[in-house]
Amino acid sequence: MPLKNTNVVSAYQTKFGRLEGATLREIFAEAVDGATNNAGIPKKDIQAVFVGTFIPEMLVHQGHTAPLLVDYAGLRGVPATRHEAACASGATALRSAVMAIESGIYDTVLVASAEKMTSVSTNRATEALAAAADDEFESSMGLTFPGVFGIAAVAHMAKYGTTEEDMARAAVKAHKNASTNPLAQFQKEITLEKAMTPRYIAWPLKLFDCSPISDGGAALVLTSNEKAKQYTDLPVKIIGTGQASASMNLCDRNDLTAFESSIAASKEAYKMAKLGPKDMDVAVVHDCFTIAEIIASEDIGLFKPGEGAKALRDGVTALDGDIPINPMGGLKAVGHPVGATGIKQAVVIYRELIGDAGANQVTNHDTGILHNFGGTGATAVVNIMRRSDV
Amino acid sequence: MSEKPTIEVYKKNIEDENFQAYKCVGCGCIIAPPSGTCYDCGGNKMEWAKVSGKGNLVSFTVIHIAPDEFQEETPYYVAVVELEEGTRVSARLLGVDPLKPEEVKLGIPLKLDYEKGKSGHTYLAFRPA
Repeated sequence: MPLKNTNVVSAYQTKFGRLEGATLREIFAEAVDGATNNAGIPKKDIQAVFVGTFIPEMLVHQGHTAPLLVDYAGLRGVPATRHEAACASGATALRSAVMAIESGIYDTVLVASAEKMTSVSTNRATEALAAAADDEFESSMGLTFPGVFGIAAVAHMAKYGTTEEDMARAAVKAHKNASTNPLAQFQKEITLEKAMTPRYIAWPLKLFDCSPISDGGAALVLTSNEKAKQYTDLPVKIIGTGQASASMNLCDRNDLTAFESSIAASKEAYKMAKLGPKDMDVAVVHDCFTIAEIIASEDIGLFKPGEGAKALRDGVTALDGDIPINPMGGLKAVGHPVGATGIKQAVVIYRELIGDAGANQVTNHDTGILHNFGGTGATAVVNIMRRSDV
Repeated sequence: MSEKPTIEVYKKNIEDENFQAYKCVGCGCIIAPPSGTCYDCGGNKMEWAKVSGKGNLVSFTVIHIAPDEFQEETPYYVAVVELEEGTRVSARLLGVDPLKPEEVKLGIPLKLDYEKGKSGHTYLAFRPA
């Protein structure tokens, strides 16, 4: 049965990028204020906080972050728990919040996130990111994150004829969409030629195939039907949610051209929502690398296996296409403050669905799907959102 | 060979250039890298198994930008290899030019080898048979 009681009533994203002079707790507090006080929702209404951060222990030498962040943001005393699932930390926090509302335990909760990644060296940040892979059997032989997605790209290219140029098109699209998004890390269009610059990170992935290291935060307020109209005339419902895990090791997967956790999570979310891929007007997928967007668009059923690159080539996923993907610019160009990404994705879909996306507004905007995934797909979370007046 | 396999010994075997996989006592399934549970039957009693050292190339990448520990070794191949016994491992790929990855074909037969890295570790590796 579609979920009935979970409404998103406010959403806020901080600027993503190198946020000079802003610490983890300050970024978090900005996101919280944006989704509460500044959106007309008093903090005293918040009954619990679900926090998404990936690895502040390595990035800013801070553990036990949920109470610390919530205290700084003016919510002392409220139950606060951190959810960690690498790059899917944000979506797992969101999913837990959905379950808390649906269970009836709480009426109004906050989902909030921040990651501060640029206060350490790039090497240290890379090392922190690598902690999301299997240290014993992958990282220890020098396999990096771009490397893992390079392996997936090679398999996809061999099986379906996907090319390096196809992947570059995902980067060009991301930068084009982000060029009109003031919250994006890179607000500059790039040419296909530039995206193809042969600066290999992990062959066949090049510099422009990779999402950047970023700081940023995002937050949402979720509430029950009974309370929703107190805060907004146009709530957005979360009607389906799915999550799955898979092996940490890429070598333990049978198929390297798809991510089984994404497939399973999307099936669960569609089933719950009683909708299918054709009912989606807009999608936000986890494009940590360009190939990841192509594969995700297939895994969540928007295109048949092997046809994601063609859809990209034909402009089907462009802002004005039949099914726009990452209309604000995705992880690739907006940035990827790891723990915040899954919540930022929900902010994007919320804004698109209520018609508040400015230059990045998609034409049809009743229903949207969000796909967030952790590490190399060992965790995947898919949520489906629909405007409450549909 | 009758002792219960451990990850520590699995890794030491690779350092000693004596790679061995896990084998499920219940159903005979060969497993590597180690898993606490058999993928086929769910059993959790394991023993050591020698492997033929034959495999084929499933997919690969060439790492150009690496963590400090490995940067001196770049560019280097990391591959997913399917062993003749059915299980898949991540391994270094030797005997092919890291600057000509477009010439490497998936599915080619490989044989077990090892690579002594500048990092001081010995990696599980394969090279074209």
